[in-house]
Amino acid sequence: MSDGVLHKAMAPLVAPPVFDFWVQKINRTLSWERPLARVVGREVTARGTVTLTLKANRHFRGYAAGQHVPVSVEVDGVRLTRTYSPVTPWQGDRRLAITVREVDGGKVSAALVHALSVGDVVELGPAFGDMVLPDGGASRPWLLVAGGSGITPLMCLARALLAENPSADITLMMWARERADLCFSGTFADLRARHPNLRVLPVLTRESRCLPNELSGRPGAELFAAQVPDIATRAVRACGPWGFVETVSSLLAPIAADFDSECFTPPPRATQAGEAVTVTLLRSERQVQVPAGAPLLESLEEQGVQPAYGCRMGVCNTCVCDKRAGTTEHVYNSEQHAEAGPVRLCVNAARSDITLDL
Amino acid sequence: MKQSKSRPLTREQVDQFGAELDALHTRVRDDLGQHDADYIRRVFAAVRYTEAAGRVLLYCWFLPPLWVLGVLLLGLSKILDNMELGHNVIHGQFDWMNDPYLRGRDWEWDIVATGDNWRETHNFRHHTYTNIKGMDDDIGYGLLRLFPEQRWRPFYLFQPLVAVIFALLFEWGVAIQDLRLGRYFKGKMAPGEMAAAFRPVGRKMRRQMIKDYLVFPLLGGPLFLPILAGNALANIMRSLWTYMIIFCGHFTADVDVFPKSVMNGESRGQWYLRQIRGSSNLRGGKLFHILTGNLSHQIEHHLFPTLPANRYGDIAPEVRAICRRYGVHYNTGSLWLQFGQVIWRILRYSFPSKPVPVNRVRLLAE
Ligand SMILES: Cc1cc2nc3c(=O)[nH]c(=O)nc-3n(C[C@H](O)[C@H](O)[C@H](O)COP(=O)(O)OP(=O)(O)OC[C@H]3O[C@@H](n4cnc5c(N)ncnc54)[C@H](O)[C@@H]3O)c2cc1C
Repeated sequence: MSDGVLHKAMAPLVAPPVFDFWVQKINRTLSWERPLARVVGREVTARGTVTLTLKANRHFRGYAAGQHVPVSVEVDGVRLTRTYSPVTPWQGDRRLAITVREVDGGKVSAALVHALSVGDVVELGPAFGDMVLPDGGASRPWLLVAGGSGITPLMCLARALLAENPSADITLMMWARERADLCFSGTFADLRARHPNLRVLPVLTRESRCLPNELSGRPGAELFAAQVPDIATRAVRACGPWGFVETVSSLLAPIAADFDSECFTPPPRATQAGEAVTVTLLRSERQVQVPAGAPLLESLEEQGVQPAYGCRMGVCNTCVCDKRAGTTEHVYNSEQHAEAGPVRLCVNAARSDITLDL
Repeated sequence: MKQSKSRPLTREQVDQFGAELDALHTRVRDDLGQHDADYIRRVFAAVRYTEAAGRVLLYCWFLPPLWVLGVLLLGLSKILDNMELGHNVIHGQFDWMNDPYLRGRDWEWDIVATGDNWRETHNFRHHTYTNIKGMDDDIGYGLLRLFPEQRWRPFYLFQPLVAVIFALLFEWGVAIQDLRLGRYFKGKMAPGEMAAAFRPVGRKMRRQMIKDYLVFPLLGGPLFLPILAGNALANIMRSLWTYMIIFCGHFTADVDVFPKSVMNGESRGQWYLRQIRGSSNLRGGKLFHILTGNLSHQIEHHLFPTLPANRYGDIAPEVRAICRRYGVHYNTGSLWLQFGQVIWRILRYSFPSKPVPVNRVRLLAE
């Protein structure tokens, strides 16, 4: 289904869940309006890491290299969404590849790495992220700095640069604990053979003995100075866990020609009851401060926001509202919930900064 | 007038009673998973397949048994869509799945009443103010006198007839319930206000009429009339069934109605107590429970309206055991027994009855 004239004309007559039910008997990625993708390839790219190739339906609008795509899967009946960064630039064939590393105790990463197989269907969301290439970027020198699975958007950037300019000057430093954790070794060997100005430097923090082409140690000023003496001329992009990106940013942002970064784990933030948290209201385009631990409906009303409500005791579902991010806590049984999804404002309190579709 | 079958409890007992039910709720909530997700998707699929089969068979007018089967299947589909699927999804029972196609807030169903009106009259008013006279419009739907607490008027003498017509047109009654026509006719509502309230309802009615009584019959060409009749019969079949089940939920002989004063400082435990005392269950097999949308577990549903209905049967023995320990009457019986009592109420209270003292119903012992 394209979003064309026919689609618009038929919209009032179609109940999307019913439409999807029937067309998915033919093909499980057909949908009235949801961006679905089928797993068409699966490859183990490092220890505990797989690269999944997905073929998206026509509702997925693509992405720019360096952006990230929300991926939803159902785990034990609950639809969970996490963000992944495609590792290949978006082309006309509607395919994207994501590389997922299993996180300890992680729900979605475990499902993607272990449970998903070729033929399964996942849902995608609209791509986002600002770490994209500037116009004419392929003609300047680059330093890409990756920590762990943060290699993914940088891999995409490198491929996009090389596609535009096969002799682009790119240095890529990728940190991992041990050699077995390094992704894309084969791909890099392949790329280096064709692109003389691509330099790939694996840096290992826990490997006992390094090979000639490998480095060891954590990110530090000396390491960068030794490996990338011309840093002042380079545009730097860094990606990885929050702590890693903080370190790299403090070292390189002041001295590089240009610096941008993205982190995969948000900074940890615990809140005590009573502490102020920020509620971002997407539809009303507002932000308000409310006390953590207090029922959201009351707190929002005190801030002059007027959500629809009914029973005010968790029965009628009138005040239910889509939580896009953040942790909430049920006021009756103190259970915390960190996943996106519908929450009843009258019986849930914020336990972190949260974003509501309100 | 006989006394309530539940004994009044002390405040501490009510609190303990509430805490036990809260704990039960949390336990089930934590256990929800793939099994429940698969269940509601199977119900959704059953609605689709029975509808498709029913509609196709309606075109077999020349083989009457098949046409009759078509009516039954379409009626079955509408019953499932209305009760086990729509009613339960609209409560938000499957919101935890975070599936955009199973969200209570956005759900629309195959009935002339709009999902939005239902969310207001049923999810909010009926479930919050259950069996409180003057607050819960479901007590007689402004049309019937079912309790001695309701004031008698001569109009109620026609009640047995009115009740039958209401049953046949139940989906239409539900559709206009939120408009509160009574207030309009008493001049308490401006015509403009009424017109605005009616607009979405009218749109939904038109949509349903066009679908069932125009588009599908026209697709049958010369079979226009038999197909139209089949759709009408299926809708009536659904109306009668839902009417019967819903009336059995709150209008059997031993349920209590409450004065508005019960709401003053009502605790969670008291709220639970009122839900149980205002509701009655139906006994039956698995298929029967599914066909009633598990409203046969009306008590469990009223305690936990946002828990998936497929769980009510599992927790019913525990709810019943808790009730027994606190001396709270757990009202259950076969469909025929319970519906017999409903019919008795419809007949009995069409005639005047001795007024009852407002505080006949006591929740607390002191
Ligand atoms: C912009 C962006 C892009 C991303 N791109 C990729 C990608 O290309 N490939 C990829 O594998 N991942 C990527 N991630 C991380 C990914 O979105 C998930 O956070 C990750 O897969 C864990 O999800 P989970 O459901 O398995 O873990 P959860 O069940 O959410 O969490 C389980 C435990 O792991 C911790 N945890 C969560 N995420 C991480 C993490 N990233 N590192 C360490 N601990 C964590 C949690 O605090 C929790 O204790 C990206 C994240 C962001 C924000």
